[in-house]
Amino acid sequence: MELLKRKEAWNITYTHALGETASWFYVQLRDHAKIYGKRDAKTGRVLVPPRSFSDQSLQPTTDWVEVGPGGRIETFSIVYEEFQNLPPPPYAFGYVLLDGADTAIGGFFKGVDLTDPKAASEKLKIGTRINTKFAEKRVGDVLDFWFEPEAG
Amino acid sequence: MPYVVKPGVIGVAIMPRIEGDGRSLEELLYDATQAVLKDAGITIEDVDGIVVASNDQYDGRAISIMAASGSVGGVDRDILSTPSAGEHAFVLGALRVACGQYRTQLVVSWSPTEASSIPEAQRLAADPYFHRRLPMDEQASHALQASALMAQVPGLDAAAQAVLRKNRANGGRAYPDLVQAPAQSGKPTRWPLPADSMAPPVTGVVAILLAGEDFVREQGRTDTAWIAGMGWTTEPAFLGDRDLGEAPALREAARQAYAEAGIDSPLDSVQVAEISDATPFQELMAYEALGLAPRGEWAALSEDNRFGANGSLPVNLSGGVTCLNPVFCTGLIRIAEVANQVRGRAGRHQKAGVKRGLAQASSGMAMQYQTVIVFDREEKGAAA
Repeated sequence: MELLKRKEAWNITYTHALGETASWFYVQLRDHAKIYGKRDAKTGRVLVPPRSFSDQSLQPTTDWVEVGPGGRIETFSIVYEEFQNLPPPPYAFGYVLLDGADTAIGGFFKGVDLTDPKAASEKLKIGTRINTKFAEKRVGDVLDFWFEPEAG
Repeated sequence: MPYVVKPGVIGVAIMPRIEGDGRSLEELLYDATQAVLKDAGITIEDVDGIVVASNDQYDGRAISIMAASGSVGGVDRDILSTPSAGEHAFVLGALRVACGQYRTQLVVSWSPTEASSIPEAQRLAADPYFHRRLPMDEQASHALQASALMAQVPGLDAAAQAVLRKNRANGGRAYPDLVQAPAQSGKPTRWPLPADSMAPPVTGVVAILLAGEDFVREQGRTDTAWIAGMGWTTEPAFLGDRDLGEAPALREAARQAYAEAGIDSPLDSVQVAEISDATPFQELMAYEALGLAPRGEWAALSEDNRFGANGSLPVNLSGGVTCLNPVFCTGLIRIAEVANQVRGRAGRHQKAGVKRGLAQASSGMAMQYQTVIVFDREEKGAAA
């Protein structure tokens, strides 16, 4: 028998409130090209990206701490699949422990030729020192910054 | 944890790969429910409550419990949903029996492939504050985890390939009509994961019937897999807060389950295990966290074959997730497979003489959720 299918595409737009902590973080990023974390007063850990509370101590975080722009790669992947709302692949992305931070922040890696993933992975080896670069025109978004290996 | 009533598995229906468009999702859930009732030899009238688990993004249906209300017998019956993981539905169902307020529980989980892109659907799991703008689906999170592990363990690639070969051989024996040879494209999509190290998403459904000791006795059943121990834990959602080369949540879940089951040495205590191997690297991590093989022994595994089909502790006789990957319900399938091994009803891949089995289910980004279940063939010794 003839089997039918029904194709549906939903296009719902969400407007997420970022809250005071993420808002302040992105305003500093957008207006001053700086990255900040927030300190968990109980443990002393500097959480990057910042959170208004620590999920370990469940206490509100207190003072802001500027971190980076240097840091080291904690982990990385090179993704060859295309995703919506992102630049064309391949993407190199991962997590970087910025100087002065106790948790790593996710972001893109640039300045590395991704044609040969094996060669690229040598340049993105875990532990590699990186510098944070900032877009000239910033909008207050994760895509406003990226990481490049110090050694080029 | 002291249970008022001992819970056990009395019925299992595993549909790990469903092809074709002859049945709608609701009809597939109906099929699985009918199959598990038949396996348990009871009717829907014997079911006191239901716990279902699915993913709204995969289903394309908000509050996906709605798809199950009629199809699994939820109308006019107690039905709850755990959208976090299929294995969490099992834990909740088992606890509802163990507390003595329900004689039986039906647990059902499913994972369709009707979304245009499972990876895009998974991106909705990332927070919209710091991670939504990254190419972060579950496969990418597994790749980040593999990267971290590779930096910590020399020669990891060879050990992972050995795990993959083992599971693919097992899967070919267990489900020869369902397991397909991996595509030989040779191009990785999530470096450093090798191109063929993950199975493509398929549609699947799994159903389990749980019952308490009194019900089992009344029914005169002799093929129950008794729950001897359970443990479940969660890691931080922000991957940057974790050391991705370690699995502390799994260590803790195993500690809980082993303590309940009275297990000091899992290698000497269980005869079969199923492990969530979304990638072979995750199976290796689970060996360590479950106390089966520390990382220093991984290189030797391909030689001694201790976890092979004829080894001292066969792991993933079903072939695991790297053979059949109905994404959302792979964790509950691991539990169902071990329950069947203990019941002596695993079919082609049944190991003879299984008295105690170990199931480890992980799900989410880089194994965020961890669940460990120990099953016993004999009621005596099970958690009580």
